[in-house]
Amino acid sequence: MSWPIVAVLAAGVWAQRLLGMFVGARVLSRQPALGRLAVLIPAAVVMAVIVQLTVGSGKSLTADARSFGMLVAGVLVWRRAPFVVVVLAAAAATALVRLI
Amino acid sequence: MTDSVAMGEGVSADAVGRTGPGWSDLGALCLTFFALGVTVNVLVLERVGSESLTVVAAIAINSATTELAYVAVRDAGGTQLAAVIAGWVVASRFGLLAVSLGARLRVGHWHRAAAGLQSFDPNVAFAIQQRSARDVVRVFWRVTAAMHVGWLSGIAVGVFLGNVIGDAQRFGLDAVFPAALLAIIGNLLRRRSGALAAAVGGGLCLVLIPIAPAGVPIIASLIGAVVALAVTSGDPT
Repeated sequence: MSWPIVAVLAAGVWAQRLLGMFVGARVLSRQPALGRLAVLIPAAVVMAVIVQLTVGSGKSLTADARSFGMLVAGVLVWRRAPFVVVVLAAAAATALVRLI
Repeated sequence: MTDSVAMGEGVSADAVGRTGPGWSDLGALCLTFFALGVTVNVLVLERVGSESLTVVAAIAINSATTELAYVAVRDAGGTQLAAVIAGWVVASRFGLLAVSLGARLRVGHWHRAAAGLQSFDPNVAFAIQQRSARDVVRVFWRVTAAMHVGWLSGIAVGVFLGNVIGDAQRFGLDAVFPAALLAIIGNLLRRRSGALAAAVGGGLCLVLIPIAPAGVPIIASLIGAVVALAVTSGDPT
């Protein structure tokens, strides 16, 4: 990563955020039926990010300590545990598996 | 918007209250972004060797996933171009999150631009679950502030004390971010439409990781939202 690369990466991220806010949101507001997408998109995309961070390892899939940590997190979210409990339990479970 | 309004119902003592996140939620988010700041910046510093460039990259790019994607592609022997494209592609979800947020914002252009540039998963997810337009703005900036306190102190610790901490993974810090994301979308998953969107989006990502170029699995997960929209269009909102 060099200075020009940082500038190029930043420009791409800024542009997408502003496009989403000014262009994407306007299209959605003209199509009220698509308003539901505004809620469904984060559900789908955030879940994909979770999958990538949990079982992705470059271009391969792995089940490791992270998977166990996320299993614990999943049960706690389902049981409606407080946010802080979910986060700390997932880290502790992952660290524990690595320790063993 | 009816979907997001209805979402406030059925929310009880769990992470997302009707009035927004409480102090313990904000504290946990702050800790989460602190952990993320430490891990990402230790990684980046190892590769660029310059403290100032690492700090500027973290603040200017304002996307840990973009930095992680760039580093992952370069580590795998990819070209600069491939790494930059991967970094952009994973950031596309911020554009989508900005769409979701923008649809609920009732503010002026400069305020919209500032909010758009700060669109992340936690603050948008918390904000769009609020009932009133005023609460959307209030909760958005409150969560954004908590995230940035954690992210900025994480950058500082990662860059200047990284060698003292050693292996961040030993403490399970890499599980903190996905667990936090899951807790944040927990309420969306309790609705049939949200659960379906997440199942299709997450499933597609899982199938595509081994076969598609880095970043594509996350873009493809958009199909999950479209499928859920089509299948549950008759559901009460």
